Amino acid sequence: MSEITLVEAVRLALARAMSEDDGVLVLGEDVGPDGGVFRATEGLLERFGAERVIDTPLSESLFAGLAVGLGAQGFRPVVEFQFMGFIYPAIDQVLNHAGRLRNRTRGRLTCPMVIRAPYGGGIHAPEHHSESTEALFAHIPGIRVVIPSSPARAYGLLLAAIRDPDPVIFLEPKRVYRAVKETVADDGQAAPLDACFLLREGHDLTLVSWGAMIKETLAAADALAESGIEAAVIDVATLKPLDMTTILRSVEASGRCVIVHEAALAGGVGAEIAARLADEGLTSLLAPVRRVAGYDTVMPLPRLEAHYLPDSERILAAARETLEFA
Amino acid sequence: MSKVASFEINYTRFLDPQGQAVGDLPSFAQDPAALIELYRAMVLTRAFDAKAVALQRTGRLGTFASSLGQEAVAAGVGAAMAADDVLLPSFREQGAQFRRGVTMTELLLYWGGDERGSDFAGPRQDFPICVPVGTQAPHAAGVALALQLRGEARAAVCVIGDGATSRGDVYEAMNFAGVRRLPLVFVVNNNGWAISVPRAQQSAAETLAQKAVAAGFPGRQVDGNDVIAVRAVLDEALARARAGEGPTLIEALTYRLSDHTTADDATRYRDDTEVSARWKEEPVARLRTYLVEIGAWGKDDEEGLLADCDREVEAAADAYLATAPMPPSAMFDHLYAELPRELEAQREALSQSSDEGDISG
Amino acid sequence: MSTFHLPDLGEGLQEAEIVSWHVGVGDHVVADQPLVSVETEKAVVEIPAPQSGRIAKLFAEPGDIVATGAPLVEFEAAPTADQGTVVGAIPEAESKPGPRPKAARETRGVKAAPAVRALAGKLGVDLSVVAASGPGNTITTADVERAAATIEDAGPPEPLRGVRRAMAQNMERAHAEVVPATVTEVADIHDWPPGSDITLRLIRAIAMACKAEPALNAWYLGRDAGRRLHDKVHLGIAMDTEDGLFVPVLRDIASRGEADLRRGLGRMKADVQARSVPLEELRGQTITLSNFGMFGGRHAALVVMPPQVAIIGAGRSREAVVARNGKPTVRRVLPLSLTFDHRPVMGGEASRFLAAVVADLEKAS
Repeated sequence: MSEITLVEAVRLALARAMSEDDGVLVLGEDVGPDGGVFRATEGLLERFGAERVIDTPLSESLFAGLAVGLGAQGFRPVVEFQFMGFIYPAIDQVLNHAGRLRNRTRGRLTCPMVIRAPYGGGIHAPEHHSESTEALFAHIPGIRVVIPSSPARAYGLLLAAIRDPDPVIFLEPKRVYRAVKETVADDGQAAPLDACFLLREGHDLTLVSWGAMIKETLAAADALAESGIEAAVIDVATLKPLDMTTILRSVEASGRCVIVHEAALAGGVGAEIAARLADEGLTSLLAPVRRVAGYDTVMPLPRLEAHYLPDSERILAAARETLEFA
Repeated sequence: MSKVASFEINYTRFLDPQGQAVGDLPSFAQDPAALIELYRAMVLTRAFDAKAVALQRTGRLGTFASSLGQEAVAAGVGAAMAADDVLLPSFREQGAQFRRGVTMTELLLYWGGDERGSDFAGPRQDFPICVPVGTQAPHAAGVALALQLRGEARAAVCVIGDGATSRGDVYEAMNFAGVRRLPLVFVVNNNGWAISVPRAQQSAAETLAQKAVAAGFPGRQVDGNDVIAVRAVLDEALARARAGEGPTLIEALTYRLSDHTTADDATRYRDDTEVSARWKEEPVARLRTYLVEIGAWGKDDEEGLLADCDREVEAAADAYLATAPMPPSAMFDHLYAELPRELEAQREALSQSSDEGDISG
Repeated sequence: MSTFHLPDLGEGLQEAEIVSWHVGVGDHVVADQPLVSVETEKAVVEIPAPQSGRIAKLFAEPGDIVATGAPLVEFEAAPTADQGTVVGAIPEAESKPGPRPKAARETRGVKAAPAVRALAGKLGVDLSVVAASGPGNTITTADVERAAATIEDAGPPEPLRGVRRAMAQNMERAHAEVVPATVTEVADIHDWPPGSDITLRLIRAIAMACKAEPALNAWYLGRDAGRRLHDKVHLGIAMDTEDGLFVPVLRDIASRGEADLRRGLGRMKADVQARSVPLEELRGQTITLSNFGMFGGRHAALVVMPPQVAIIGAGRSREAVVARNGKPTVRRVLPLSLTFDHRPVMGGEASRFLAAVVADLEKAS
């Protein structure tokens, strides 16, 4: 056991899954000798060979569709998209096919596939590299959308995603790729899908977040604790389907909820959580549900991106506003 | 300046529109029984299409895409494919699907709006009908890659229309198939029309077959109304694929004698004179003429076949009409391998609101 | 008999025009034989016979527009059940009225989080009486708990019944309708002879003022219906009892003598005490007097009871230091309040009315 980064945890999980199951294939651009642009597939080609680590032509629609065909044939393809900004040609395949093949054939053909993509801002990347558009996918029936926020969860959730018999969109917060180190045991233990992770207990306020925003959210919770306020912190992790049970249970106790995501505010997954709180948790609410999110603007280029991304100050301000409702 | 590449596209035809053999027929066609089987497949498809349109016109089927005039393409594909090959059809290949064991009742269920119509009891690995044009081409590449990775002597066949060849993901799939020398045959069912857009407006390329050249594998043209030719070039392409020699693209030149679908009226954009001229080239009469000329077919045979097809089609229609809809909550049954807890409440609400208990008893 | 209805021939088409019939009444047709050509928004299509049988009736003629789902052909014999609408049933709009919205809750204007409302409901606290201490004037959990503790100390609430209940209803109505404004004055009654009856003097003064300013002796019937000025003055006299407020009417005060009025007042008090006021004696007031001073208080913003437009209140008379001819003097004074409905009544009219009351009261006799 050693301390590893999130991107190393991804690599570890890929290698583990490939060694356990010959059907697991890794496909994408530059996943072979180059080891992926973020080095998530480094060493896999040497270890598992060119039949299982496949550099594809530069054609995003193809490799999403390729995975549908491979999945229907019983393989478990793991497709890497270099950046989420280039994933959109694949939406056709995910929405029209991956998410519905099982249903439209009544279980005869299935898509046990994983689409991996680094996403989110904060690394001063060029244009088109920093968006967080997880809500586009969370709207699609028949798939899962999973976002890890730490090396350990990246390892466990990716193993679970690969073993899952249905399509999973696995979005990796690239800002966290190398920012945190954590001890991760390569024990082949999957983390649960369709479940939130309660990272911190607290009865005064519930902070709900995912991905790179977990770090900012935990920092805000620490600051609140200094003034005697105990905030629960929930890492949603699986955005689709959404584990509202865990969120509702926490908000029932705290009566206050602040949702944090770096994706744009309108129509974000935070809106779904807030709607569900209004629907199923209304009588628990002591204060308005607040969302701290990116603005409804085009994601700015690096010079302004820090102003776009929520930080612990913005989270704290929203938290304090909800706490005024005693 | 020096020439670095050149290509040619060959065209194959064995029977001319008048049903006369042009040159020697391929060996399989020496056996009249094999030709009668192809003939029977085309007649059955035509009978099915007519019934399906009648069902739609009387409110008993949803929108339907007839393959009138194009029966030879599907019959040829169906006959050439081995049972363990994988077909990835578009939505006008019913003739090939029947040959592979998809039942008429299943396809009526599909067009009648029931997902069970794509749960083929016969060819379990075949893909269902694909309505988003050309989006099944990448799946075909995936299937072919799977067959190749397992070292199996099987092939995938992907049927697309002329319109689909304009789409990016069709080219992406062809490109990848070329790179990996996949056991994959692309059949372009070129019926001249992408709904209302004619072939000339789809591409400036002289042939659609030559699009394969850019992807690094052979493209061939065939008379798509000559079922012998379709079957023959498919045989060759499938043999190449199984032998690890890579993909082939076959452009089958045919003509859509019907509307695009039952929701379409082709007279809005197409001259009747053009259509009646094309009736002279249709595939069913062409093969019948040849069979009659070689003495392998007669009036009694024809009447018997029509009666058989009619009986088969009517039985399938009756079975379709007698199939009760699924209970509403069935829409949750195959959404995921296991319904996430989160969705149980929705399924429960639907069951309650639709009084499902009463329906399923 | 079985009837074949026009199916949806496209995707969501609502109607089709009959182009031509290929069969006629009495014809025997076989299934799938062409019946009729129709033109839809999308195409001209031929509809085949859904079944074999003899045609009994054609429901439309060439040129007719037939709605999807309407009868098209009737067959004489029906070998199989009509399945003409098995697929693509036409949904019809339901005109069933939805549930009526429940009456707005009394606490709608109150700002409180849902959890606070739920707590208030559980503890039986009426949020409209809870003082808010939260941000933006919202009621907090602590506010509700405090209110609940107070209520618990006070014991269970006493339900309103009878006259007090009617009073509550009338007051709510008045509050909802009237736009009240109040002017006050003090009348110098120092020169009244000893033993003068304040109520009788007030009645006389009001009668005088109504003559001077008739706009206050009126009913306001609404923006469209307007107002009605009264010739006679029917004075309502507010009388408190333990059970609630009574406002019996003293009719036509302007034309009655002092003795008559005194007798009328006496009978009224007796009736109220005996709870035997005839119903007609509680209706028809054109203006009201509240002599609340007999219990205490100086000035008051009173409640105008629609359709009346004014109410005069008299506070407790007392001795006061007043400036008189430039010197402080102790005089007996009577504080007066006039509340009027500012919708039909102008401020100037109200002030002139009050001045007329004062002028009459300040006469020695």
